[in-house]
Amino acid sequence: MNSTAANKDTSKVSRRRAFSPQDRLTLGAFIGVPTALHLLLVWIPAIATIGLSFTYWTGIHISDIKWAGFANYHNIFFSTPVFWSALKDNVIWLAWFGLIATPLGVLLAYQIDRQIRGHAFFQTAYYIPVVLSLAVTGIIWNFMLRPDGFINGILGKDITNPISFFGDDRWNLYVILVMASWRHIGYIMLLYLAGLKAVDPALREAAALDGATEWETFRKIILPTMRPVNIIVLVITIIESLRAFDIVYIIYGTSGAQVPILGTLVFQNISGEGQSMKGAAYATILFILSIGPIIAYLRQSFKEDVK
Amino acid sequence: MSVEQNGVSRRTLIKGAALGGIGIAGGATVLSSCGSKASGPMSFGARTVDESPTKQLKGLVAAYEKKSGNKVTYNATESNAFQNNLSQYLQGTPDDAFQWMAGYRMQFFAEQGLLADLSDVWKDLDSQYDNSYKIASTGLDGKQYFVPQSWYPWGLHYRKSMVKELGLDPENIATFDDMLKMFDAMKKKGLVGFAAGDKGGWEAMGTFDIINARLNGYQFHVDLLAGREKWTDQRVIDVFKQWELLLPYTNKNVLDLEWDGAMQLLLQKKAGSTLMGSWFGGNFKEKSQEDYDDLWIVPFPEINPEHGVDTIDAPIDGFCVAANGANVEVGKDFIKFAGDKEGMQAMLDTGIPMTSANKNQDTSTYDAFQKQQLNVMSQAKYITQFLDRDTRPDFAGPVVGPAIQSWYKNPKDVNKIVDSLQAQWEALPEL
Amino acid sequence: MSTIVVNKEYRDRQKRKDALISLFIGFFALLWIFPLVWTLYSSLRPYVDLEANGVFSFPEHLNLQNYFDAIRRMNLPLYFTNTAIITIPAVVLTLFLGSLMAFVVSRYSFKANVALLLFFTAGNLLPGQLIFIPLFKMYLAIGDAVGDRRFLYDSHWGIILIHVAFQMGFATFVLSSYMKTIPKEISESAMIDGASVFTHYFNIILPLLRPALASLTVLMTTWIYNDFFWALVLTSSDSKRPITSALGRLTGEYVTDYNLLAAGAMIAALPTLIVFFVLRKQFVAGLTLGSTKG
Repeated sequence: MNSTAANKDTSKVSRRRAFSPQDRLTLGAFIGVPTALHLLLVWIPAIATIGLSFTYWTGIHISDIKWAGFANYHNIFFSTPVFWSALKDNVIWLAWFGLIATPLGVLLAYQIDRQIRGHAFFQTAYYIPVVLSLAVTGIIWNFMLRPDGFINGILGKDITNPISFFGDDRWNLYVILVMASWRHIGYIMLLYLAGLKAVDPALREAAALDGATEWETFRKIILPTMRPVNIIVLVITIIESLRAFDIVYIIYGTSGAQVPILGTLVFQNISGEGQSMKGAAYATILFILSIGPIIAYLRQSFKEDVK
Repeated sequence: MSVEQNGVSRRTLIKGAALGGIGIAGGATVLSSCGSKASGPMSFGARTVDESPTKQLKGLVAAYEKKSGNKVTYNATESNAFQNNLSQYLQGTPDDAFQWMAGYRMQFFAEQGLLADLSDVWKDLDSQYDNSYKIASTGLDGKQYFVPQSWYPWGLHYRKSMVKELGLDPENIATFDDMLKMFDAMKKKGLVGFAAGDKGGWEAMGTFDIINARLNGYQFHVDLLAGREKWTDQRVIDVFKQWELLLPYTNKNVLDLEWDGAMQLLLQKKAGSTLMGSWFGGNFKEKSQEDYDDLWIVPFPEINPEHGVDTIDAPIDGFCVAANGANVEVGKDFIKFAGDKEGMQAMLDTGIPMTSANKNQDTSTYDAFQKQQLNVMSQAKYITQFLDRDTRPDFAGPVVGPAIQSWYKNPKDVNKIVDSLQAQWEALPEL
Repeated sequence: MSTIVVNKEYRDRQKRKDALISLFIGFFALLWIFPLVWTLYSSLRPYVDLEANGVFSFPEHLNLQNYFDAIRRMNLPLYFTNTAIITIPAVVLTLFLGSLMAFVVSRYSFKANVALLLFFTAGNLLPGQLIFIPLFKMYLAIGDAVGDRRFLYDSHWGIILIHVAFQMGFATFVLSSYMKTIPKEISESAMIDGASVFTHYFNIILPLLRPALASLTVLMTTWIYNDFFWALVLTSSDSKRPITSALGRLTGEYVTDYNLLAAGAMIAALPTLIVFFVLRKQFVAGLTLGSTKG
C-alpha cells in the first residue's frame, strides 16, 4: 500500500507547466468530445425522463404534455399493488445476488487464482455463459425447463402434468435467479480474478508459512487488499439486482406479472401502446434507488484518487 | 369534428370508446375521388415473420406490383417487437402501409394523428363490406383509418376423432353442461379437458370475454370495458366463479405456457380442447393434412339462455396507412387494392388458409375448417374484437393481464382482484 | 531443518485439499456448461426424431440439417453484416474515446478529473429505459434539423453512438486504472523531451495499453453484440437490424421446431465465443480495476 501511495505522487505530472496552445487544444478535444457525447446522449435524456415523470403524456406530441405533479407517483404507491410485489422481488434478487451469487463468484476466482489443477478450463467454463446473448440464454434454458424439456424429461413427467418452472409462484422467482446467476457468477469471477492478480503471491506464501488456514488467509490477507475491487463488485451486484430486466423479459415478454420486477414495470409502461409517463415515474424510482450505491462507489474512487 | 364531442367530456369519450360503444356519424362529405394516379416506390410493413402469413402477404405485394407497376419494399418485424415499438415506429420512419388491428388499438393512433385518413379509399370499398367492418375501421372522429384483411373467430377447438372416441357428437357441444360432460369423459381418460396457456398475459383474456358475454351479455361486456360498469360488480365475480368450474379440467401449468403450448397439447392429443382464435390451422397443416382435417371449432357453449351464443370475439386484422410515411398516396392505393376482392383473392391464391373480410369473396375454395369458421361466425349477433383491442391499452396489458394471471394463481382471491382492477381503472390518467 | 519438514507436511496436506477442491469445482463446471452442451446436442438432431422417440432416445441421426435450415431461413449474411457494421465501429470508438479520457485524467492533474471520472462511471450504471423516450425524440429532432429523418433514427450510426456514449464510462474507468500501473517516468521523460500531448498519447501511452484494450475488446464486443434493446427501439427497418433480432424472429416463428431454434442460437453465439477464445489469454491479464499493485 505504501509503495502505491508513493507511486501516486509521481503518477501525475503535477508540476504546473504551461501547455502550448496546440496542447491545450488537444487536451480540450480529448476531454471535450467524450464528455459532450456522454452528456448529450445519456444525462440529458435521463434528466428529461425525470422531468417527464411529473407529467401526463402519451409520448407522441410534445404539445400534449400536461403537468401532473405527483399523480404518477401517487398512482404507483397507492393504486398499483404490483409495484410493491416488484419491490419485494428486487429485494429478494439483491439478497440472492449479494449472499449467494456474488460470494460464489468471488470464491471461484480465489480458487482459480491459486492455479489449482484445471484452473484454465474452469475459468472458461464459468465464463462462457457471460458471452452468450440473452436470446440464446433464453433458448438454452427453455431446453432445460420446458414441459417437454430436459429436467421434466429426466423426472419422467408427462407434458400434461409437468413441473411448472416458470408458472408456479412458489419457485419461479428462484428459477429466474438461477438463470441470472448462471451469467452473474462468471462475470463476478472475472472481475475478481482481474483484481486478484494484483495481490502479491508472496503475501499468501508468508501467511501459509505462518500456519494460517485457507480461510484465514482469504479473510485477513486477500479481502483487505482487495478493498477497491470489493467495492466495485458490491456496487455491480446492487446495480444489477436493481436494474434486472433482460432475463425476465426474454422469458415472460412484457407482461411480466409472474415475476414482477421494477425493470419490467418501467418497460411495460414506457413502451408499447400503453405508453404513459407512469413508466417514467418507475424509471425515476429505479434511478433514485440506484444512485445511492453509485454515490457510495464514487466516494470510494474519490478517496482512492485523493490519496 | 364529429358531433359526439359536443358536451361530452374528453375523458368519458375516450373511456367510452370501446368498440360497439360508439355510434359513428357516417356523413362524410362526398367528393369526387382524386384523379391523379398514385405512383412511385413504397414500403409495406408486416407485423409477422411466420412462414405462412409471410407467403400470403408476399402474394399480395407481388400482385399489387404487377398491377400498379409500383415497386414495394417488404419490411417484416416479429409481432411482439412490432407491437412494443409501434408508437416509435409511427412517429419515426414508418412504412407507407402496414399491417395492424381494428378497434381501440387503431383508434388510439388515429386520434394521435399518426394514421392517414382513408375515407376516400372507403368510398370505393364500401359496397364490398358489411357495415360492422366499416364501424370497426372508423376512428373517433368518424373517418376511416383501417382496411380489413381477415378475421378469425375465438371458439372451442377440438379434434373430431377424439370426441367421437368418447362417444359424443362433435357437432353438438351446445351448453356449458355438455362441455363439462365432455371434459369429464376426457379427464377419465387421463387427458387435459380444457388446455389453456396464459404466460403471455393476454391469452386468457379470450376466456374472460366469452364467459362474460355468455353469462352477462354483450352490452354488459362492452359497458364494462368502456368503464360504464364497475369491475366490482357481482356479475364480474360470477364470471370468475363460472370460470372456476373449468379449472379442474385445465392443465396445472397455465402460466408456464403461451398460446402455442396449449395448442401443442391439442396437436399431440394430450388435451381434448382449447379456447383460442382459429389462426393456428397452419400449424396443424404443417404437421399433416390428417391432423388439419381433424381440427374443428364450435362456438363456446351457452351458459345463460337469455344470451345464447349471440356474441363472439372475432378480431379483425387488416392494414393502415402511416401519416408519416414517405408516400402516403401510394400507400392508400396499395391498401385499396388489398381490401378489394382482387387483392384478397391474391392472398387466398397462395393457398394459405384465411377467412376474408370482404363480403363478395368467393368462398367456394374454402375447406371444411374454414367453412366451419364462417358457420360459427354466422351464429353470432354481436362481434367483439378482443379484450386488449376493446379497452384502453394502458389498462388491458399492464392491468387486466396480470390480474387474470393472479386469479389463476389463486382463484379464491377474486374479490381482492376485482377491487384492485376497479381501483386501477379509476387511477388511470386522462388521455 | 524442522521448518522444512513442517513445510512439506503442509504442502502435502494442501495438495490433497486442492485435489478435492478441483474435483468439486470441476463437477460444477461441467454442470455449468451442461445446458449449453445439451442445446448443442439437440441442434444436431432432427425434430421428427425427437418427436417420435422422445428426448432421451438414442439419436438415430446426428447431422447439420438444422444448421442448413436455420442459415437459409434466418437470412444470416444480412444480419451478420449489420451486426459487424454496428459492433466494430462501436467497440473501436468506445475504446478510443475511453482511452482519451483515461489518458487525460490519469496523466494530467486537473481539478475536474475526479468529477469527470465519476460522472462517466455513474452514467454507465443508469438503466437504459430511463433515457429511451427523450433519446428517441432527440434523434428525430436532429434528423429533422439536418433534413434526413434517418440521420440517427433507423440508422446504424444512431445505435453506434448510444452504445459508445453508454459504454465509454466503463472503458474510461478500466483504462485509467490500468494507466496508473504504467510507470510515470515514461511520461516524465516524454515531457522533458518536449513531446506534444498528442505524441505523448499516441506514440507512448497507447501502445502500452494493449493488454487492457484486449480485455475490454472482449467485454465490449460481448455487450454490444448482444444488445437487443437499442436495436429494437431505434430502428424501423428490418434490413438494418442486427443478428440478435434475427434470432428473436426465429423464436417467434418456429414455435414447433425447437431444434431448429437451437441451431440458430448456436450460430448466433458463435462470433462472441470466437472473440472470447482468441483473446482468452490476454483477457484477465489486461483487466485492471482500481487494484493496488504498484
